[in-house]
Amino acid sequence: MSGTLTDVFGAALSRRGFVKTGGALFAGFALAGKHVNAEDLNPALPESYIEIHEDNTILIRTGKSDFGQGTVFTAYRQIVADELSVPFEAITTVISGDTDRTPDGGGTFDLLMHGMPNLRLAAAYVHQALLDLAAQRLGVAKDQLSVKDGVVSSGGKSVSYGDLVKGQKLSLTIPVKGDVHSMFGLTVDGNPPLKPVSEYSVVGKSFPNSVTVSKVTAKEQWVTDVRLPGMLHGRVIHPKTLGSKLVSAGTLDKTKFPNAQVVVKGNLVGVVAPTEWEAIKASQQVSASTKWADWKGLPGDRRLFQFMKEDADWKTAPVASSKTNKGDVAAAIASSPKKLKATYQLPFLKHAPIGPTMALADVRADGNVYVYTHTQNAQALRSGIAKMLATPVEKVVVRTFAGAGHYGRSNGGNAGAEDEAVILSQAVGKPVRVQWTRQDDLQWSTQSSAAISDVELAVDANGNLSGYEIKHYMPAMQDDRLVGAVLAGLPTIAAPNEVGSIFGIANAMHDPWVYEAAPAVMERAYGGPQIGQSSSPLNVGLRDHSLRTPGQYQQNFPREVAITEAAVLAGVDPLQFRIKHAREKRLLDVLEAVRANSGWETRSTRPSASNGVSRGQGVSVMFRSSTYWACVAQIAVNMSTGAIKVEKITVAVDPGIVINPAQLKRQVEGGAVMGVSIALHEELRFDESGVTSSDWQSYPIATMADLPEIKVVLINKPEAGIYGQGSEAANALAAPAIVGALLDATGKIARRLPLKPEYVQSLLKA
Amino acid sequence: MTSIVVNGVKREVQAPADTPLLYVLRNDLELSGPQFGCGMAQCGACSVLLNGKEVRSCITTLGSVAGKEVTTLEGLSARWAKQKGLSEADAAKTLHPVQAAWIEEQTPLCGICQNGMMIKATELLEHTAAPSVAEIKAAFTTSGPSPHLCRCGSYTAIIEAVQRAATAMTKGGQA
Repeated sequence: MSGTLTDVFGAALSRRGFVKTGGALFAGFALAGKHVNAEDLNPALPESYIEIHEDNTILIRTGKSDFGQGTVFTAYRQIVADELSVPFEAITTVISGDTDRTPDGGGTFDLLMHGMPNLRLAAAYVHQALLDLAAQRLGVAKDQLSVKDGVVSSGGKSVSYGDLVKGQKLSLTIPVKGDVHSMFGLTVDGNPPLKPVSEYSVVGKSFPNSVTVSKVTAKEQWVTDVRLPGMLHGRVIHPKTLGSKLVSAGTLDKTKFPNAQVVVKGNLVGVVAPTEWEAIKASQQVSASTKWADWKGLPGDRRLFQFMKEDADWKTAPVASSKTNKGDVAAAIASSPKKLKATYQLPFLKHAPIGPTMALADVRADGNVYVYTHTQNAQALRSGIAKMLATPVEKVVVRTFAGAGHYGRSNGGNAGAEDEAVILSQAVGKPVRVQWTRQDDLQWSTQSSAAISDVELAVDANGNLSGYEIKHYMPAMQDDRLVGAVLAGLPTIAAPNEVGSIFGIANAMHDPWVYEAAPAVMERAYGGPQIGQSSSPLNVGLRDHSLRTPGQYQQNFPREVAITEAAVLAGVDPLQFRIKHAREKRLLDVLEAVRANSGWETRSTRPSASNGVSRGQGVSVMFRSSTYWACVAQIAVNMSTGAIKVEKITVAVDPGIVINPAQLKRQVEGGAVMGVSIALHEELRFDESGVTSSDWQSYPIATMADLPEIKVVLINKPEAGIYGQGSEAANALAAPAIVGALLDATGKIARRLPLKPEYVQSLLKA
Repeated sequence: MTSIVVNGVKREVQAPADTPLLYVLRNDLELSGPQFGCGMAQCGACSVLLNGKEVRSCITTLGSVAGKEVTTLEGLSARWAKQKGLSEADAAKTLHPVQAAWIEEQTPLCGICQNGMMIKATELLEHTAAPSVAEIKAAFTTSGPSPHLCRCGSYTAIIEAVQRAATAMTKGGQA
């Protein structure tokens, strides 16, 4: 085979030479006939997805990072192990996220890529290549070979993967498509044979997450631990409002802070110093005397929903219609005896990572730029930094380390501090570590879009949903501009409302319709520009960004609350009402599972209060990323104070193939807690000038005191043949179920969040 | 120059006395357990034990801890070994039961808050051998300057890990 190419289902296998030690097979890629870096594939370099080493160890690489899902350290290894027929433990090294050490880019979202992550396909190609090598070595036809634990055998003869690559440098070039620096990165192409699901032995088992030990024993290198020689600590003084231009930067008191210096670039003011404490104190001193223009251009949180209803522009963007729309809704509603017309309102939410964003940048004299950070999309950040500096992307390296969960905030690359660190480092000629404060992180990061939805529906004389119409309104969800670059007046990608924007301002139908029995359905989604942006001299408004279950949360909440209201209108138990209107077996099964496991009481009347406390139950469902979800919430309402205690959350999830039950259970539990937090506590506060939520008191999230009993029911459906997603959805399910439970407990409907005691009290008094 | 004892070792620190302990631990002593979360004692990510009591290192000045004993996440195992009188050889391969339980229960999701969670759990279990769920919830919400916050929602896993660690510590350390 030496010097020749073997075709492996569209991938090319070749031997590049012989070596004394370190023999291996490197599975790299080719894009449209050439390699991404426009240089000959060096199989020892990071283009490789998978490396099979002569000692039978295996290395895998992914451009995606870990943000607490654990997927790259658990599910990815399990999937690769099964495709290759090796033990989980054979995959000894996982390299993720770094732009100079991983192949494919892409964001840390949709990690299982509808059942076909890049690594699964790459492993399938590698498996076929190894079988070709074994067939040649053993002199046996390929279809006569079997593999167990990395040993290929046939008729008494056998050879291990390690022996197959020993003494050689083998290269397998896999076809890919896409753009590595884009939001979505590269995707492995083609259709190599995949292992039948029935033969899986690693997938389905609860392997522990390999980084847990280092995190628990303080051995992990977090992004917060990265240091460089000569590094300075930086703090950024952000403008007074979202529209404030700089009038004059404050003067540094050199007698107090002899080692600090101020950097001003456009409307960006930074302070750097050799020690963190001096940087903090100096930035506070400079901030106090920095002057900004005033600006008022936001509606303020109290007028938000009125603004969205009456003043916001929903006409510019094209309207999205659901593919499942059907029937004559107006006629169906007109001819039905019972009707509902309602508007549902959801406030802006913060991603609110526990660790504020932080990055270390090193802009070197030779023009090379190194950024050490914690991003969900290193390649997209890399291209954004290159654009900002007007330098070739090859000059920029982004390395990503463990850090706080971002829940989607950095999936387009930017967490906030990276570009500011680069600007400061370039200005002072030294590495600069920029740590955002808690206040910076709440006031200058992006937020999850607020939304309103108008619903009209009706039920017929038989208690069936006869017509349903919903119109969703939500400002543009994805502003991935580097905010420091915007403030400094440097180039960035387009804002959502500008020409060239990747996502634009249009909304989409994010929440698939699941009540197939309904005869007439009309769902539409309206998008609009970022609130405040057009009038802000900084071109910055309430910047929006996807948050765990993005867009679908904003659409599923009104739909699921409306369906519960329809059930009450029909006099039918809300869970039974959903079963009545569902047709998909997987959905029916999750509904039956939550009914059986939650202690749901099938009834059409509500229970009575005792001792001033009224209890109720509510249910919600979602179909997301090939996964079916159902959730039941049981709550207690204090009828005098309006305080809600969520007593139990039961979630049933069918993701198709359950890859790792223990890890999935923890993800779902965590999502449920975030859901309770969203339902009870979370609302971005802002006035006419900017965000006023500045700490954990003005942006409260759930504490352990809010923790309900959480029961997770995993439904493994290997016959579905796909991997769904487990790290999203659970955070969106709780709120509509809790609102349903409040309706059950009190007869009062809450059509907006959060369910703070004063709001619930006002409903109870109404 | 301020003298402090960190994880059983006396350290001389040059930083000004008003420097928050968090920056001393992270930057001067290069420890990575305590994390910056808010700088206002509102989240617990930066917690350490000060003479056995959980404090928020982000608002605790260096000057105020002079001569006192600080234990960080890095020092939990040695703290346990000392409490149990383990030999040096045994100590080297022993994790604090809280850390062992955190691993066994796969408690961290992103993990950024878990330093403070394990510090708080250690403080609790040194005083209350078999805490009820209500006592655990109280420890993590009302016993300090603020609740310990986890945005990933690992509270269930934390309670299960505390219970597992409690059982192990009662038995003398076998997780």
